[in-house]
Amino acid sequence: MPANVVVRDLSKRYGGIEAVRGVSFAIEAGEIFGLLGPNGAGKTTTLECLIGLRQPDGGEMEICGLDARRHPRDVKQKIGVALQTTSLQDKITPREALRMFGSFYHEHEAPPVLLERFSLGEKADAPFDTLSGGQRQRLALALAFVNRPSVVFLDEPTSGLDPFSRRELHRQILQMKQDGYTVLLTTHQLEEAGQLCDRIAIIDGGRIVATGAPRDLIAQSSGAPSVTLITKPALPADILAPLPGVRELQCDNGTARFRTDDAAATLAALTVVLRERRVELVELQVRKASLEDVFFRLTRADESGEAASP
Amino acid sequence: MNGLFHHLGVTLRLHFRNKMALLYGYLFPLIFLVAFWVLYRHEKIPLLRHMGELLTVSVLGGACFGLPTTLVSERERGVWRRYRLVPLPTWALVTSTVLARYAIILSAGLLQLAVAAAFGMTAPGHPFALWVAFTFVAFAFIGLGLVIAMLADNVPAVQALGQCIFLPMLIIGGVAVQLASLPSWALHVSAFLPGRYAVEAMQTCVNGRGFAGTRFSLLALGLIGLAGCLAGAKLFRWDAQQRFASSTGKAWLVAVFAAWLAVGGLAESRGRIAVAVDAETAPVSAAAKVAAAVPVPAAGSVPAPVVPAPVPPKPTPPLPPWKKLTDADVAALDFRVPPDEGIVSPFAAADDEPTDFVAAQVVSVRHKLPSWPPGDDGDEIQRVRNCLYVAAVPDAIQLPVERYLPGVVLEFLTDRYPKDDLVKILAWIVMHPDDGSLLDDISDLGIEGTAGDPYVVRERAYLYALKFIIRLTGRKNN
Repeated sequence: MPANVVVRDLSKRYGGIEAVRGVSFAIEAGEIFGLLGPNGAGKTTTLECLIGLRQPDGGEMEICGLDARRHPRDVKQKIGVALQTTSLQDKITPREALRMFGSFYHEHEAPPVLLERFSLGEKADAPFDTLSGGQRQRLALALAFVNRPSVVFLDEPTSGLDPFSRRELHRQILQMKQDGYTVLLTTHQLEEAGQLCDRIAIIDGGRIVATGAPRDLIAQSSGAPSVTLITKPALPADILAPLPGVRELQCDNGTARFRTDDAAATLAALTVVLRERRVELVELQVRKASLEDVFFRLTRADESGEAASP
Repeated sequence: MNGLFHHLGVTLRLHFRNKMALLYGYLFPLIFLVAFWVLYRHEKIPLLRHMGELLTVSVLGGACFGLPTTLVSERERGVWRRYRLVPLPTWALVTSTVLARYAIILSAGLLQLAVAAAFGMTAPGHPFALWVAFTFVAFAFIGLGLVIAMLADNVPAVQALGQCIFLPMLIIGGVAVQLASLPSWALHVSAFLPGRYAVEAMQTCVNGRGFAGTRFSLLALGLIGLAGCLAGAKLFRWDAQQRFASSTGKAWLVAVFAAWLAVGGLAESRGRIAVAVDAETAPVSAAAKVAAAVPVPAAGSVPAPVVPAPVPPKPTPPLPPWKKLTDADVAALDFRVPPDEGIVSPFAAADDEPTDFVAAQVVSVRHKLPSWPPGDDGDEIQRVRNCLYVAAVPDAIQLPVERYLPGVVLEFLTDRYPKDDLVKILAWIVMHPDDGSLLDDISDLGIEGTAGDPYVVRERAYLYALKFIIRLTGRKNN
């Protein structure tokens, strides 16, 4: 399938800070592609360069076969964007906003269609300042589709939303995939990226450190499964530590957590210990390495928390 | 273009949904208008006289506060960041914003004129010229508003910057305080501020000579507006994160100030500082004005060539009617007149010293009055009546010079006519206030403006006739 978005060696500096350093990736048509990274990693800057909000210092960007640096206005006809926070005038209604933004493009979708699709029918004529956070975000998404775009850019679309609104928005994004749209999504929510994206690029310190389908990234990860064990009474550490494969053991108030290099051998030995000591098993959880494990392994987030934003 | 018109339409609709915008855009200018009306004791002529100032305040408010406040608050909210994602060029969005603001300001101006008319103000003398002048004023101030919007990083900064421009123009720029009341240094400063040209341009179209008296002001406003719009476009910022301090193109501010300096310098070089309006007095012949102003009796107005021909003995002409008046007729007049220090028919006391500007006008009138054609036009009654208008017209339009001119006129009349005759002529005028022709333009004497209301001018001439009789006969008013 041909790539709808191609980025080659993109770079952007803010004064002395190199926010984006040689980022390259390609998104195929009909694919949901996630840019995943901690705050300040450079994902929003990358996206803003692509949609024309910032002028990159170097690199090439191609969207729908058009050079985004040379023909920004033509590219804008083909893309839809929902920014992290989209605010409109207090008294504008969703219907007016959709009609006005639609008039800016050669092709545009009729407001009733978008109002229906994004469940805004009841609020079609309500002022913007009376809409909830979820409704505003759905309006932002509707605006992104007002020009029947080929590629949709979503910048942390679920940021700040309550769980219900987030789930609703996830449903909308998955619908985009079914409808065949190409979507570039930035997020720092690992679960969201794993659930929505066909492929992700993990970005850190302005560089892409890994690219691939979430399950492939997890599979490629060298992380060992983690085990959580709750017994009554608690098993002391000196009993658990000699079990085959156990490492990184932590015991705390009757709960033991450890990683194992050989889950089957560890569990077989554990079963014997429990029976011999007549210890009641309250909870046993074995979890394979997750996207979170991959993410923390690849980024500096586990070391320094949030990085400085540009 | 479709997008531009949609944006224009939405901007206008949103403006009318914003209660605060309506309050500042429409109610405040009307409060100014009502304040003026009440201040002048519900008289209608001062409204006409001050319409240039009132309209300028409306445009200033809408363009230098309303426009940048809207732009900056939308930028702070991220609305303009969202606009940047659409394939419309910057100029299209800025143009629709400017056009919407012009429509808003124009509607506020029309509302102000309509309310003034409802209060009894006569219609502006040159409506089309007034619209053109208003458009130039709006252009100049909208350009300024765009610059303020690009300089200010947030809404409080708009208020601060706006006040820095608004207050000087109000106080020493000829917008709220008339130029005639300002000291000389302030007149020089005002020549560098657009407010002065805004008032001059619109006022001349309301009760002056229309386009003929606005050429320089329109040029000044056009230049200032062009520089402002250009700088505003070059400094345009979409994003609130983009601070002015770090933005490029700051040198364009030089263009804005250069335009102001150029206009001020030009005004200085053309001698338009002290009496700006006089600088463009159209060369309309005094005779033409008199002919227009005094339709009857036309025969007496044209001096016949002196031909030394034998004159057949004529019967003694009948006595003019005023000669038949007796002292008893004069004493029977109703001498109730407003106080000299009041607003209606004021009369300066002997120790009342005029400002330099007003004193220059008084001297000019005193110098020109003896050769002023209407002073010799028609019979004695019409001549005296014309002289009374020299006091009545400035009073009707409440010029700063109003209370000083009656003394000049009385002095002139007492030099020309025997006291008893003058008293009788004045008494005749008091008894026949609506007779004769009216003169509502004394610009040949250096006093600009017309009242536009014959009733009020005749009323003031009547009151001054009474006050002159009181002074000539040593009476005390009732």
